Amino acid sequence: MKKTRILSLVLALALVFGLIPATAENLAALPLTTEAGATVSILAINSYYSNVDLRDATLLKEIADRAGVTIEWTLIDPSSYADSVSPMLASGKDLPDIIMMPDKDLNMDYLSSGLVEPLDEHFDLMPNYTAFLEKNPIIKGSLTAVDGHIYYVPQTVVTNNYQPVLMYNMPWLEKLGIEAPKTLDEFVDYLRKIKETDMNGNGEADEIPMSLMNAFLPYAFGPAFGMDLVSGYYADDQGVVHYGPYEKENYKAYLTFLNGLYNEGLLEQEFASLDRDQIVARCANDTTGVTFDFSWQMSTLYSAQYESYKADPSKGVIAGAAPLSGEYAGAYIGRNPISNIFGINAKSANKELAIKFLDYAMSEEAQDLYVWGMEGLTYEVDADGVRHFLPRCTEDTIWYQGLGINAPNMPSQQSVPATDVLLAAWHVQNDRDFEEPFIRAPYPEVYSTEEEAEISGMYQVDIQTYVDENAIAFIIGTKNLEADFDAYIATLESMQIGEMLKIRQAQYDRFASATK
Amino acid sequence: MTTLTPKNRKPLGALIVRDKYLLLMFLPVFLYYLIFAYLPMVGLVMGFEDFRMGSGFEGLFTSKWVGLKWFNQFFRSPFAFRLIRNTFLLSFYSLIFGFPIPIIFAVAITQLRSRRVAKAAQVITYLPYFISTVVVVGMMTNFLSPSTGIINQIISRLGGKPVNFMSDPSWFRKLYVISGSWQSFGFNSIIFVAAIMGIDPSLYEAMEVDGASRWQRIVHLILPGISETVILLLIMTLGNLLNVGFEKVYLMYSPAVYETGDVISTYVYRQGIENHKYGYAAAVGLFYSAVGFTFVVSSNYLARRVTGSSLW
Repeated sequence: MKKTRILSLVLALALVFGLIPATAENLAALPLTTEAGATVSILAINSYYSNVDLRDATLLKEIADRAGVTIEWTLIDPSSYADSVSPMLASGKDLPDIIMMPDKDLNMDYLSSGLVEPLDEHFDLMPNYTAFLEKNPIIKGSLTAVDGHIYYVPQTVVTNNYQPVLMYNMPWLEKLGIEAPKTLDEFVDYLRKIKETDMNGNGEADEIPMSLMNAFLPYAFGPAFGMDLVSGYYADDQGVVHYGPYEKENYKAYLTFLNGLYNEGLLEQEFASLDRDQIVARCANDTTGVTFDFSWQMSTLYSAQYESYKADPSKGVIAGAAPLSGEYAGAYIGRNPISNIFGINAKSANKELAIKFLDYAMSEEAQDLYVWGMEGLTYEVDADGVRHFLPRCTEDTIWYQGLGINAPNMPSQQSVPATDVLLAAWHVQNDRDFEEPFIRAPYPEVYSTEEEAEISGMYQVDIQTYVDENAIAFIIGTKNLEADFDAYIATLESMQIGEMLKIRQAQYDRFASATK
Repeated sequence: MTTLTPKNRKPLGALIVRDKYLLLMFLPVFLYYLIFAYLPMVGLVMGFEDFRMGSGFEGLFTSKWVGLKWFNQFFRSPFAFRLIRNTFLLSFYSLIFGFPIPIIFAVAITQLRSRRVAKAAQVITYLPYFISTVVVVGMMTNFLSPSTGIINQIISRLGGKPVNFMSDPSWFRKLYVISGSWQSFGFNSIIFVAAIMGIDPSLYEAMEVDGASRWQRIVHLILPGISETVILLLIMTLGNLLNVGFEKVYLMYSPAVYETGDVISTYVYRQGIENHKYGYAAAVGLFYSAVGFTFVVSSNYLARRVTGSSLW
């Protein structure tokens, strides 16, 4: 149960693949092979629902049937996927034909070792994928390795919509007679008011002003201090790359702010271990004033906890608002489009068929199946030719997910319109009003050259470790901002942050010139 | 003393035939160590190589040789000292606080008059040993939570300020040692209880007749009686001194407590499995094993010098 909820944001976003095309096209000739008993083996993640197994998913079987192949799945639980698959790739033995990579391979560990087949050499077999790349030049740019080859087929997500956003308890704002805070000062005032007032009227001082998971602190407050702490490295308007936790003034101001919230009890003691389940429980008891999470949770998870929302779902109880501004204008940090990548095993004896199958899995026809399923099974078409999901889809989640809908183990593509149809109208409007206008692109994901990968491999892990532990130490006050911050900066310097910035600058320049 | 004369020395083949069932019983142990301890040692060569992903076993012979590069990198890393210190201290504290408790408990339990109480106490203290580490750490997280944990609720009731135990670096070692000790002292006391039971009852009776007090019996009879067992177990524990339980540290720690909680094995895990730096991770692991090896050899030597008994 817990796991299901924790993963629900990914799920939620996974629910929403693909635009709904009038005619779902497929450019490849079907079936892909006439050979009887042809198989393609795939290594990928299993469903995000821990009690769903996609091995026999109806929709994925349908895709395989249309392609004329049988799929041999190796499906691994998403939470332990990287840990299980990395050693398999290191050994390079007995790998399947198609591999969902454990990470985005930005250091080119896998592709430079010759594990994966360069796909551009087989583009004649991949009409659907080449059409996709033509339509998405930025994704094509990101997927082009330093050697000029394209090795992977992506699974993509929405980037400027439905990202993490501040969400307020709307009835409480109304009760206090104020608008949603727009600046840090107003925000702190709001938190103080909640702390002092019996907002839910139960006679107990059980109000928790803010329920913010540790991972969302950089999202919520970084931009107001002029930093993109989500990406860590980021480029300013002049194209100069900075490292947030190495910003001597802004980062110190950011930590000072959070340390202040912590000391005042506005940022709870357990913020570092707070999880989504706890926030859900707080919503159910109406004890919290503001949270920060992926937009999807706003209507489907948090608002849904309130009886008043169940009575009137036309208006959100927990709803998004504009980002907070401080010395710098507020913003929300968006996401890079590529969420996962699939590669073809270079040693596979079955390469050609695997490539063709991966291409077919990218086709619009396949995307349509991922999103809508099959007529009569998951949806029906009304007299106007408009599709409607059947009631069972929302009533029986396990069955619905078990069909392989939104296929987390296939190269499926999310889109904004396909997400919109799944959400309440107020939520969609909320996204257009408060999220989209404020979104800022994150630091782009760029392949490293071998030399860059070597240097960042040497320093970045240690830097990250050091930054993570110090952020918490400064916020909870085990380290003193006045006394210890300079030493912290000095240590970062001794950890070669300068070298790292040089590399990231070079990468950013490459990206900037490639997308000009 | 018997001496081997040519007459009773049998040829090897005959010995094997004679002891075939014993050897058969030994076979799984032999295979276990061969497959899981000795063969993987070949992989240590990775610590001197720039291991190429996907090259598997052959990669050990084909990857680029980089000599001591990874060792250099580790010793220049700002975390090297901290990792070694944390690993050592965590083991050391576990030993000095964890080792005496089962002995004291065993002595105490054998002095109980009621056999039934003694039995019950043994079973109760013995059970936590079978709780998995994940569950133990989960229990700790729950009980020690600053807002809802029972410990902190007691502290607040008494007028104290809640302590964020799990994210305070100064608590990490204490929690690790205390919980570890709680889990294993009952189990570890069994062998000492057995040793105490093994002392000839006539000696007790003799002491009683001579009017020795309970305390005198403990000091002059029981402790000397089990000293051999204690020393043997101490040496065996010393051999494992640097084997900090990876799972437990991994489950308990977070960036907030890296300062005291990050140990070599968790660092190797992050570098090797999470960042695919197999060469670097192998080098750090090799260094760790070398230190551990030195420990075993020197503690064995020390034990032989001081007490006259040793593992080899």
